[in-house]
Amino acid sequence: MFDQLLKRLLQGEFICEVSDEAGFRYLQDPENAAQVDEFLTRLDYRLSSTQNRLAFFAAYRTIDSSARSDIRKVFYQFRIELQPVVEWLDMMMSCLNQDTALSPGDTLSFSGLLQVIEHNQALADRLQTFAKFKDFTSGDDSVKGRLEKLLLTLCKWGYLTLANKDTLIYQVNGKLDYFYQALQFIQEHEQIPVEQGETDTIQGSLF
Amino acid sequence: MSQSQQGLERLLRTLAGHSELIAEAYFTGVVYKDNQNQRALNQLKQLKVLVNHDAEGYRIAGRLTQFLDSALSSDRVRRLDTDLADWIDTLKLQISLYQDAEVENRLGDCDNYFAEIERLVFDLSDTLEENTRYLSMLVNSRFANVRTLAEKQKQNTFYISRLEKLVNAITALQPESLLEMVEDQPLIYDLLDHQLIRKLPIYQQRLQDILDKLKVFLFELRQIEARAQLVQGFAFFLQQNQNYQPQDWSERDSIPEHWNQIKPLALFAYADPLDHALEEDLIEIAQKIRIDTEVMLAKQKQRSLSAVSLSPQNKTTLDLPLYRKQLRVYFDRVLKNEGQSISAVAFQQAFVDDIEPSIWLSCVLNEWLRRQQRNKRLQMELIQADVGRHFSGNKKVRDIVLQFRSADN
Repeated sequence: MFDQLLKRLLQGEFICEVSDEAGFRYLQDPENAAQVDEFLTRLDYRLSSTQNRLAFFAAYRTIDSSARSDIRKVFYQFRIELQPVVEWLDMMMSCLNQDTALSPGDTLSFSGLLQVIEHNQALADRLQTFAKFKDFTSGDDSVKGRLEKLLLTLCKWGYLTLANKDTLIYQVNGKLDYFYQALQFIQEHEQIPVEQGETDTIQGSLF
Repeated sequence: MSQSQQGLERLLRTLAGHSELIAEAYFTGVVYKDNQNQRALNQLKQLKVLVNHDAEGYRIAGRLTQFLDSALSSDRVRRLDTDLADWIDTLKLQISLYQDAEVENRLGDCDNYFAEIERLVFDLSDTLEENTRYLSMLVNSRFANVRTLAEKQKQNTFYISRLEKLVNAITALQPESLLEMVEDQPLIYDLLDHQLIRKLPIYQQRLQDILDKLKVFLFELRQIEARAQLVQGFAFFLQQNQNYQPQDWSERDSIPEHWNQIKPLALFAYADPLDHALEEDLIEIAQKIRIDTEVMLAKQKQRSLSAVSLSPQNKTTLDLPLYRKQLRVYFDRVLKNEGQSISAVAFQQAFVDDIEPSIWLSCVLNEWLRRQQRNKRLQMELIQADVGRHFSGNKKVRDIVLQFRSADN
């Protein structure tokens, strides 16, 4: 367990209940977490987790110029992911007809989503808009093709895992917890208005 | 078969016989009498399977509903019995009645009271088991039985309060006092010990775990509510500001923890061929490698050395192609007849077989180009065909005339 877990952490993976249930439970034990942290310290890394401790990952212990360069790449990747992931989360609330955003552990059925989107032109149009993001362009212009590409890219980015190949059930990974944390950070520090009334502009008169 | 057993069998047959009616009452909540079902409804009412809903309608009796909810793992809201003190009092009463019957040697009554005590003990065990399973289902499904966030929070809060009471009630129980009561009744003692004393702490721990999960879940629900607002608000903001990019937080002195992720390392491992312990395994792997390319299978040709040999080498004479022989004849004639123009087409018609005129002309032209570089006296004139299309860039040639100019000219 220890060796497999370390290898996954060193390869940059997020350890959560979905991506690695055994590893995640292992790290719930403070003694185990301390041992892992001690090993990582020898490489000048440390064990870190999201605020809610829904996912663990390896972080730099000392932030020198090399580490800062790597962190910059992480941030730039977040920049690329920001808009499409927010759009995906918002769209899923509509597709699933619920007033809660997706959480780690939630499941998505490909066939269920496809059925909903195919019968709702507004959702189909929203799915179409993903084509403006480079990583979501699909050779297949159908709803099915676009939805496949959307879920595939989210798997590649680490937000989803294909939990069942036969029934095409996807599960949300703990990495989403990291995304929410980052989103919250930006909203607070850049004072992004999230109450929709705050962005109402005062309309001037037409004449 | 006793009368009771017969009665039970009759009841179960009736339930089976009217299963559709009962299912309708269970799922719709009420079933109304009509000409066809009146007799069946009356029978079910007599057996206490159905009770009156209103003047015309019937519903399923409460206890049967509870049984069906449990058997079907229904996610309907259920009551949690938290008043264990009442249950303990009932049990103590039954034990007391049993002891009285035992003293008075009323063996029949003893059996009945023992059956009641068993039923009470199993009842509590079943109820705790059922409550635990139901609550686990709610937690694992994250209150999937209700849709909105507000409803989930309400249910969560409700069950936390009930569960706290239940856990406290179990803690407050003193089942050891029951054991003291029945020290002289080994059957009851064993029953209480195995079904109650040993199991209660397990139920308590499981319910406590569920309670902890419910509290965490309530916290998460509050977070989820905030997150839903965050997502929707951000989505709206991004729609209004499509070119928005967050500031570069990676350049700050203090880097937010969530972006402090290491660069993924590419890990490789190799077997050490010098490690003798691995020898057998490596041989086995090597033997399994498929040889499926001809390159690997083909034997390399033996290269001969450039050795001096006294034996005469076999000479191979290369035959010139026919057209080259015929070209040589034509050009020899041109060179011999100095100053005389000789038509290539005329020569071809007279001496050349099996070559198309157009191909013969191409060969003549090619050979003249080759020779003309060394021998400028070899002149060529293209005899053109009709002018054809103007400005096409092409010359249509119908004949080539060669002349070997004399040295004086």
